[in-house]
Amino acid sequence: MTDTAPPDQPAIRCRDVWQVFGTGAAKCLPDALDRAGGDVRQAAQILRDDGLVPAVQNVSFDVKRGELFVIMGLSGSGKSTILRCISRLIDVTAGQIEIDGEDILTASKARMTQLRRRKLGMVFQHFGLFPHMSVLQNVAFPLKMQRQGRAERLRRAQEVIDLVGLKGREGAYPRQLSGGQRQRVGIARSLAVNPDVWFLDEPFSALDPLIRRQLQDEFIDIQARLRKSIVFITHDIAEALKIADRIAIMRDGQIVQIGTPSQIVLEPADDYVRDFTRDVAKGRHARLSSVLRPVDPDAPPAPDDPGLTVDMTLDEALNACMLLYQPVPVRGRDGQIVGMIDPADLANALQVDP
Amino acid sequence: MRVGGSTGRRPGAGTIAALVVLATGALCMALVPHLPWLGQFPDAWTLPMSAWIDTWLTWFLNLIKPGARLLSAALAYPMGWTKALLLHTPWPLLVALVTALGWYVGGMRLALLGFAGFSFVVASGYWVESMNTLSLVAVSVPLALLLGGATGILANEVPRVKSSVQTVMDVMQTVPTFAYLTPLLLLFGFGPVVGLIASAIYAAPPMARNVMLGLERIETDIKEAAIMSGGNRMQQLFLIEIPSAATQIMVGVNQSLMAALSMVIIAAVIGGFNDIGWEVLLTMRKAQFGDALLAGLVIVAFAIVIDRNSAGMARQQARHSRRITLAIIAVGAFVAVLAWLYLPAAGQLKLLVPVADWVDGRLTVFVRANGAALDSIKNTAMFYGLLPLRIGLDGAVLPFTWGFQWTGWMSAALLAASAAIGGVIAFQGRVAAGLLVPILAGMVETGIAELPWPFVLIGAGAVGWVAGGRRLALFAVLMLAAVLLSGLWEKALWSLYLSGAAVLTCAILGGAIGLICALSPLAWRVVQPVCDMLQTIPLFVFLIPVLMFFQIGEFSAFLAIILYAIVPMIRYTRHGLVSTPPDLIEAAVSSGATTWQTMREVRAPYAAPTILLGLNQTILYAFAMLVIAALIGTTGLGQSIFVALGQADVGLGITSGAAMAILALVADRLVQGFAAERRRALGL
Repeated sequence: MTDTAPPDQPAIRCRDVWQVFGTGAAKCLPDALDRAGGDVRQAAQILRDDGLVPAVQNVSFDVKRGELFVIMGLSGSGKSTILRCISRLIDVTAGQIEIDGEDILTASKARMTQLRRRKLGMVFQHFGLFPHMSVLQNVAFPLKMQRQGRAERLRRAQEVIDLVGLKGREGAYPRQLSGGQRQRVGIARSLAVNPDVWFLDEPFSALDPLIRRQLQDEFIDIQARLRKSIVFITHDIAEALKIADRIAIMRDGQIVQIGTPSQIVLEPADDYVRDFTRDVAKGRHARLSSVLRPVDPDAPPAPDDPGLTVDMTLDEALNACMLLYQPVPVRGRDGQIVGMIDPADLANALQVDP
Repeated sequence: MRVGGSTGRRPGAGTIAALVVLATGALCMALVPHLPWLGQFPDAWTLPMSAWIDTWLTWFLNLIKPGARLLSAALAYPMGWTKALLLHTPWPLLVALVTALGWYVGGMRLALLGFAGFSFVVASGYWVESMNTLSLVAVSVPLALLLGGATGILANEVPRVKSSVQTVMDVMQTVPTFAYLTPLLLLFGFGPVVGLIASAIYAAPPMARNVMLGLERIETDIKEAAIMSGGNRMQQLFLIEIPSAATQIMVGVNQSLMAALSMVIIAAVIGGFNDIGWEVLLTMRKAQFGDALLAGLVIVAFAIVIDRNSAGMARQQARHSRRITLAIIAVGAFVAVLAWLYLPAAGQLKLLVPVADWVDGRLTVFVRANGAALDSIKNTAMFYGLLPLRIGLDGAVLPFTWGFQWTGWMSAALLAASAAIGGVIAFQGRVAAGLLVPILAGMVETGIAELPWPFVLIGAGAVGWVAGGRRLALFAVLMLAAVLLSGLWEKALWSLYLSGAAVLTCAILGGAIGLICALSPLAWRVVQPVCDMLQTIPLFVFLIPVLMFFQIGEFSAFLAIILYAIVPMIRYTRHGLVSTPPDLIEAAVSSGATTWQTMREVRAPYAAPTILLGLNQTILYAFAMLVIAALIGTTGLGQSIFVALGQADVGLGITSGAAMAILALVADRLVQGFAAERRRALGL
C-alpha cells in the first residue's frame, strides 16, 4: 500500500470488464453492444452467435483494502478468467481495472513486471511449482527476480517457509512433497515478496477434504495476521462462506450477486444463488444482526436476558435461548441494547429451504 | 472407415469411392490395349523437372558456394581438434570415462554396458576408424542441438511461424537421407565435412520437435507462476520454461544423437574419410562378411552405448555416487599409464580379427553347403510373391516357374471369381468391402509396377476422400500428379511396389507378433529387447546379414526393409492391445466374453487407431530403408538418388528425393487420416 493513497480508495476496482475470446473480439464487442442497445445478455448472445466466447461480461466490483473477496462460481462461469484479467495474465477486451488507483490495463509491460515483482502475489490451483527447484529456491524465486542478494532472499524465503509450516522441508523438490505441502510452497512463494494484493485461484480445490480444511484454517490465520487485499476464487460455496468477507457469485460470465456471507445465505438474489445455498446450514453463517427486530418501545421489558450480541451466529444464539419463549434483547458491541429477537423467529430462520 | 450401408439406405463414402475406383480400373483394363498412353505415361507429356531444378539449383548453389566452402574450412578445425583429442587420449582412459559415465547415469547396468561396448571396440581393431566416426558425431551433434533448439524456441515464441516450421520438419523427415547429400556435395566438396553438415541438418529436427513439444506441454500454472513472479520473457524462458521441459528436451538430445550417428555412417558412402561406415561398405563390397560383421557390430556397440546413456540422462532420477565415478576414472588413468608403458596402441590391437576370419570361413562353408536351400527360399519368395506383385500374374506366371502359362482365360476366371466373392460379401451388407475384392484381384492381375496411372491417381484420391475428405483427396492426387509429370513415375511405382510388399509383410507378421506379445507377457520379454536393439541400430548395418546369406538383389533389399520396418508394427500393435482401459475389459468379462471374444470385440477395435499409427510408422521406416537398400542393388527411386549422388547430379537427386518424399507423405497422410477418423469414432 502506498502511503499517499486516499484511505477510502479500494485496493482493486473493476468496471464494466469484458473478456471475449476469439478472433476480432475487440471489434465485435462494441458492435454487439450497439446492436443490443447496451443490454448485456443480448450482447453476449450476439457474440456467441458470431462464434466468440464472452467469458466475462460487464463485470464490476471493488475489493477494499484488507478485504478477503471471494469469487464463487461453477466451472466455466468465468471466475478464473476475471482473476487473470486483474493480474493481466490475459488482456482484457474492454473495461477498466485499477489496482490501488493505478490503471493496470494501460500499464506498460515493464510496469507490469515491476508490479508483479513488488505488489502482486498469486497462488495456483495446480500449484505451478518449478519442478527443477527445491522448496527454498521456489520460494526465493520472486525475490531473485527483484534482484535481491542471495543471503537476503534466502533469509526471507526461510521466514515465509516457517510461516506456512514447512520448516525442515526446504531442500525437498516438488515431486517429493504431498499435495498439501506443495500448496504450502505455493502460498509461501506468493507471500515472499510481501505483496499488497494476493490472488488465489482455487488454491485448495485439488486437495483432499481433510487437508483442504486444515489449509483453510491456516489460511484464515495467516490472513488475520497479514490483512492482505485478497481475491480468492473457488467453486465451493462452503469454502466461500467460511473464509469470505464478501462473496461475488458468478454465472455464465456475469456476477449475479455480491454480498457478505449472511446476505448470500439469507437474501439470495435469485433462484440460482438460492440453489447454491440450499444445503448450507444457515445457523453457522448468518449472524444475529441479519434477523434483528427493532426494539418496540411500548412492549414491556424482556423477562429474560441470555446475553445475546449482534455478532453471534444464529446457532450460538439459539443455544443460548433454547428454553425461552419471550423475545429477548440483543446488544451491540458496546453493550447497549440494539434490538430484540424472538426465539421462535430464530428457529424459523434456521429452517433449510424446501 | 465408413463402410457402405446396405440396400435401402444411402450408400456411404466408402461404397462410392470403391465404386469409382472399380469403374476406373475396369475401364483402364479394357482400354489399355487400345490406348497405350493409359498404361504408360508418354515421355512427351512429362516436364523436364530434373533439368530445370538442376539448372536453377546449380546456379543458386554456386552463388552461395564460397560461403559454404568457408564454413567447411572453418568446421574442419573443430573436427580436427576432436579427432586429435580422441585419438591421443589413451584408450584405457576413454573406456574408463564411458564406464564412469554409465555408472553415474544408470548404475551398474550402464557401467557394464559402457565397459563391454567400448572394450569390444578396442578388441575389434577398428579403434582409429571408430574415433574418426565419433569425432564427426561429437562435432555435428552440438551443431544440431543448437540449430534444433533455436528453431524450437523460435517456433514457440513466434506462433505464426510454428505451423510452417512443423511442415518443413515433416518434409525433412520424409526426404530420404541420401537425397540430403547431393546438394551438400556440390556445396562443400568431397570430404568428411559433408557428412558432418548433413548429419547436423538431419539431426536437428528431432531436437526442434522435442523442444517445441516440451515447451508446449509445460503446465499453464507453471508458466503463469513465472510471469507472476515478475520474470521478464527471457527469464521466464531460460530460468523456468526450458528447465521445466528438461526431460522432453533430453529425449530430443537422445534422438538427435542417434540420428547423427546414423547419418554419419550413411555419409560414409561418399568416402574420403577413414571411418567405420566406410570400413563396413568396403568390406561388404569385397564380400569379407566376417570383417563387415565385426565393423557393423562396432557401430551397433556405439549406438547402444550412446543411446542408453543419453536416454538414462533423460530419466529423472537420482544420479549414482560421484565417488565411484571418480574411482573408475582413476583406475582408467592408472591403466592408461601402464598401457603407455606396456600395451600396444588400440589400432594395433586386433584381438577379434581371427574371430572375424573364422566367421568368414564358416560362413563361406555354410553358404556353400546350404546354397541350394537359400536359393530356393529366395526364388520361392521372388517367383510366388514379389514378382507377381510387381508385374502381375499375367507376366509372372510362366511355365518355367509356375509350371504353366497364364492365359487370358485365367485372367477372366480370376476376375469372375473375385466378382462372385465380392458380390456375396456385398450381398451380406458390406458393400464397400465387397467392391474391394475385385479391385484387389485386378491389381494382383496387373501388378503394382504396371498399374495404369489414371487408376493410381483416382485410387489414391478415393482413399484420401474416405480417410479425410476433399482436401486430403486433392492433396493425394496433386502430389502424385507432380511425380507423374516429373517423368519418374515408373521408378516411383517400382518403389511403391517394393515398399508396399515389405509393408504388407510387416503388417501381417508384425501384427501377429504384436498380438502374441499382447497375449503373453513372456513373449514380450523376449521380443522387447530385440525390438529395442533393432531400433537402435543404424540403417546401414541391416544390410550386412541379408547380404551374407542372399547376396545382392531385390530379395535382400526386401528382407532388410522388413527387418527395420517391422518394429513399429509390433510395438504399436501390442501397445494398442494392452492399453485397453481395465473397466472396458471388466465389462466385457462380466458380460461373459471369453479371452478371444474380448480380444476381437473390445480390445481390437479400441486398439485400431494405435495400430494404424504403427502402420504409418512402418510405412515411413520402409521408405527410409528403401533408399539405403539401393546400395545393395535395387532399381526404383532409391537407385536414382544413389546414382545422382555418384554423379553429383543435383537435379536428379532432388527430384528423386522429392518423389520419394511425396510417396511417403501421401501414404503418411492417408493412414493418419484413417487413424484420426477411428479416434473420432471412438471418441478418443
